[in-house]
Amino acid sequence: MSQQMHKNMNINVHHITRVEGHGNIVVNVTNGKIEKLQWQVPEAPRFFEAMVRGHSYQDIQIIVSRICGICSITHSLAATKAVESALGLKVSEQADKIRILMHYSEQLQSHTLHVGYLAAPDFFGAPSVVPLAAKALDAVKTIVRVHRIANEWSDLLAGRTTHPVTLIPGGLTRIPTEKQLRQLQKTLKDTIPDLKVIADVVLSVAGNIPKFERQTEYVSLKQTKPPTYTFYHGGITSTDNGSKVLPVEKWHDVANEYVCEQSTAKWAKWHRDSYAVGALARFNNNGELLSPMGKEAAKMFGLKKGCCNPFMNTVAQLVECFHIVETSIALIDEILTKGLKEEKVTSTAKAGRGAGCVEAPRGILFHEYEFDKKGKCTAADICIPTNQNHANIQKDFEKFVPQIIHEGEDAVRGKLEMLVRSYDPCISCSTHLLEVKFVK
Amino acid sequence: MKKAVIVIGLGNTLMSDEGAGVRVVQRLSDFAGEFPLVDFVDAGTGGMSILHLIRGKDKAIFIDCTKMGKEPGDIKKFTPQEIKSIKVLAHQSLHEADFIKIINMAYKLGQCPAEIIIFGIEPQSVKPGCELSKTLADRIDEYADTVRNELSKITSNPQGNK
Repeated sequence: MSQQMHKNMNINVHHITRVEGHGNIVVNVTNGKIEKLQWQVPEAPRFFEAMVRGHSYQDIQIIVSRICGICSITHSLAATKAVESALGLKVSEQADKIRILMHYSEQLQSHTLHVGYLAAPDFFGAPSVVPLAAKALDAVKTIVRVHRIANEWSDLLAGRTTHPVTLIPGGLTRIPTEKQLRQLQKTLKDTIPDLKVIADVVLSVAGNIPKFERQTEYVSLKQTKPPTYTFYHGGITSTDNGSKVLPVEKWHDVANEYVCEQSTAKWAKWHRDSYAVGALARFNNNGELLSPMGKEAAKMFGLKKGCCNPFMNTVAQLVECFHIVETSIALIDEILTKGLKEEKVTSTAKAGRGAGCVEAPRGILFHEYEFDKKGKCTAADICIPTNQNHANIQKDFEKFVPQIIHEGEDAVRGKLEMLVRSYDPCISCSTHLLEVKFVK
Repeated sequence: MKKAVIVIGLGNTLMSDEGAGVRVVQRLSDFAGEFPLVDFVDAGTGGMSILHLIRGKDKAIFIDCTKMGKEPGDIKKFTPQEIKSIKVLAHQSLHEADFIKIINMAYKLGQCPAEIIIFGIEPQSVKPGCELSKTLADRIDEYADTVRNELSKITSNPQGNK
């Protein structure tokens, strides 16, 4: 197609009218000149912080678990850690390990969904996973099977697949039995061949992953004692920070949230104009700490530390799936070697302020709360990973579009949508209601 | 004992009437003893988890906040075959959901119950808030009774509804 044909372009992927809070992609090109290029996030304020004010410290994790259906365990864990920090509550080693195991289950749930249901259709050139099921039924069935196992895993430890009920400040309301954990361990071992099938399928279409690179800052958790590829403990680090680790209480100095004209969601920046969070950020900061199978998967895809192709975030998620399953198999042994003990958890209200941080599947998540002496929440602050990625998506657009503009409007639109999906965004999960018309 | 029927309440309880399905299934759980063949599940906004919840069941009943052009507070029973979803998904995120599409996926995978029933509840208010609007809150027992009435047909026909 000639350059002449693409002198003018008017892309406006605009979802606001029908789908609350989804991002809009705007590209206007006149006479070959890019006049407007924006990632707009017109998300309605969700007021979650206001909703927890006045509630007891014991109820915060239950309320915030409803923020998101995909990251509900993650939100609950971040909140519980923040509450424990505010009230000075200690958690037993056993409960700590079971929480980490619970957290892994959600990472696997979410990554499988993203790789299989959202990203794979892009790689296969299918509009969504439903038509993909017709095109690659066996692959989709394998993905569904792994997703089911991750769901049952969450169910066992969190008491429900979504919106956990076993987490309380100071510990857990329920400890699984040895038999249940051994069964889970066996199931996870049996899942490894399925993961390999998924990796082979993704590798077979990996040539369709755009070869786009842009240097940026990658921010994630980092745990040094002991060195761990962490999703749960540790402090905040970045690829621009010389491996220094900040305590989670300093998260405001990292996110530096600001209001941007093109978005009602807050944006974030640290050492540069933008930074990225998510699986690729975790990999770039901690990749050498992956489990052997995680490292093998990274090698298979040529994923190396320092990768700055945002489309490879999906591959980093797949790599993490291997790490999560392999690490969890070993963690169950660690838990059972010490012997399971019933725990009675008690806590007392007191005034305090605390921050909690964990890695959501799609990147680092911060919660912070303040309580009065009766344990009532007086202030809350939540900073989700997707908001931390918005500025980075905009900067990617600015470098990527001039490189692909000659491919024409449809290709530009498709590739920008794919780029957004590669960040695995959580833009709006606040409403899921049906909208229907009757045909019979 | 494997339960042949599942009742699933959907929605976000932080968005007022959006959480109607969850509120109704929470109310129905008080009557779980009357229905030994039935699982009651608050699935919240779990999206694709629905695929796994309905697998292996003979019958699935969903309760969800539904914009269907009725009066706020109205409840209507329908099947997936009787409606067309007019919800538009951006396909940008895992965080959007249209369970009609998930049911289609279950059909394609050969993992769909033989019978699916949906109880749609027309919302009065979908905005941040932990409580249902008064219009819906006042009718919560009526909604629960409507679903219990549907379930009473199942217990009188333990062979299922195929």
